[in-house]
Amino acid sequence: MDNNIELQNVSKKYKDFELKNISFNVPQGSIVGLIGENGAGKTTTIKSILNITKSEGTVKIFGKDSKKNEKEIKEEIGVVLDDSFLSEYLTAKQVNSIMKDFYKNWDENKYINLLKEFNLPIDKLIKDFSSGMKMKLKIATAISHNPKLLILDEPTSGLDPVVRNEILDIFRKYIEEDETRSILLSTHITTDLEHISDYIVFIEKGKILFDLPTDELLENYGIIKCGKDDFIRLDKKDYIAYKKGKYQYEVLTNDKSIIRSKYNITTIDKPSIEDIMLFYIKGEK
Amino acid sequence: MIKGLLKKDLYNLATYKASLIIIVLFCGIAIIGTDAINIAPAIICGIVGMISLSTFSYDEMSKANRYVLTLPASKKELVTEKYILAIGATVLGGILGMILTVIVVNIMNYLRPENIINLDYKSLIIATLGGIFALSFLQAVQIPSMYKWGAEKGRIQMFILVLIIVAMLGGIYFLINKTNINIDMEMINGFITKFGIWILIFSTIFMYFISYKIAYKIYKNKEE
Repeated sequence: MDNNIELQNVSKKYKDFELKNISFNVPQGSIVGLIGENGAGKTTTIKSILNITKSEGTVKIFGKDSKKNEKEIKEEIGVVLDDSFLSEYLTAKQVNSIMKDFYKNWDENKYINLLKEFNLPIDKLIKDFSSGMKMKLKIATAISHNPKLLILDEPTSGLDPVVRNEILDIFRKYIEEDETRSILLSTHITTDLEHISDYIVFIEKGKILFDLPTDELLENYGIIKCGKDDFIRLDKKDYIAYKKGKYQYEVLTNDKSIIRSKYNITTIDKPSIEDIMLFYIKGEK
Repeated sequence: MIKGLLKKDLYNLATYKASLIIIVLFCGIAIIGTDAINIAPAIICGIVGMISLSTFSYDEMSKANRYVLTLPASKKELVTEKYILAIGATVLGGILGMILTVIVVNIMNYLRPENIINLDYKSLIIATLGGIFALSFLQAVQIPSMYKWGAEKGRIQMFILVLIIVAMLGGIYFLINKTNINIDMEMINGFITKFGIWILIFSTIFMYFISYKIAYKIYKNKEE
């Protein structure tokens, strides 16, 4: 399977934060979720991919070096950033007029149809839009030149569940239209990813903790709820982290089958991505 | 790309339409009231030129530069566009001021034939170029300052820089006076009369060129 994004040992050093040797791929036809708490390095990773920040390592997009072929590559990428867009003193109509001078493949009809589909007014200033409307406008702008790759930084943060669901539907539709397309989606709202992502890359303190297919993650990981006696029996290499509660231990494992066969423990809950993330961050080893 | 960037800024600047009309009317009234026929180009090009730099604030508020860098646009194009806009606004302001002066003076001469104002086109052009030169100096200092320190801090730093430059020039003048160096003012005046227009034009171009190089160098190394 070809990759739309290939990251190899991407590193970036700030005064108080370091992104360390980040490597992962975004295969064609897939949605990859980049998760981690605020400040874990998700945005820095995205900025490195987009060459907005200078970083070490190799970034290949569509098989090409992202620094040497920057303009050509950016013609084929749509980007949504949580905290930045064009000025809020513009209208959606003016955004159209501006964007057609940036992209060779800008599809004005598609943009206008998307605005209609999302119920966005064309002549109203963006500053008067709700948060959901602003995000939909950013998405309409990002996909109206039919990009092969979407890079989305926190596209659902601060939105209510109804709008979030609508937005996830847009992403599903986008990826279904063409099997060579892919989406890299960074978020700390992990429930969104359980429904749409094919792979999860988890970043913590600038390092990748895991990069796994979502199905594998949800199928193989489990939370064992047990008493002290059972917990003591567990070999450290068979679990990732544990939380000590008032009456019981909660233990995260990445291989439910081993726990079942080796320790004869059958009460293993299916964790959510959020549970897994919390165990990695807050759990003890 | 530059066309798209220009559109982005011009749409933002469209909010100043009403203010510009008021400024033009004010200048027209000022010419009628004072007979000072050379002030309009300097004032209008000054205000229009400075307004053009308010696009830095719009960009900063919406973090537009970070977004624009995700589009097929380079940092070089971003900086080039800001200079095209600043120079264009200043020159356009000067031309608008000249046209306004000619129109107002002709109307006044038509309405008050007993008090004809002789319009000296050469001095009007020099006044316009003087205005453009002064503005280009401010912009040449302000644009790199804004790239370095941001729109708000950049303005303060710009005033500090201008103050330092004025103090340095004052200091040189003071030293020349103090050390009794004889300067042939007649020769200088003659030189200015002969080459004044060209000096203004070339020094304006030179200032913008140096400023552009500095601004690009600053922005190239800046993280968005």
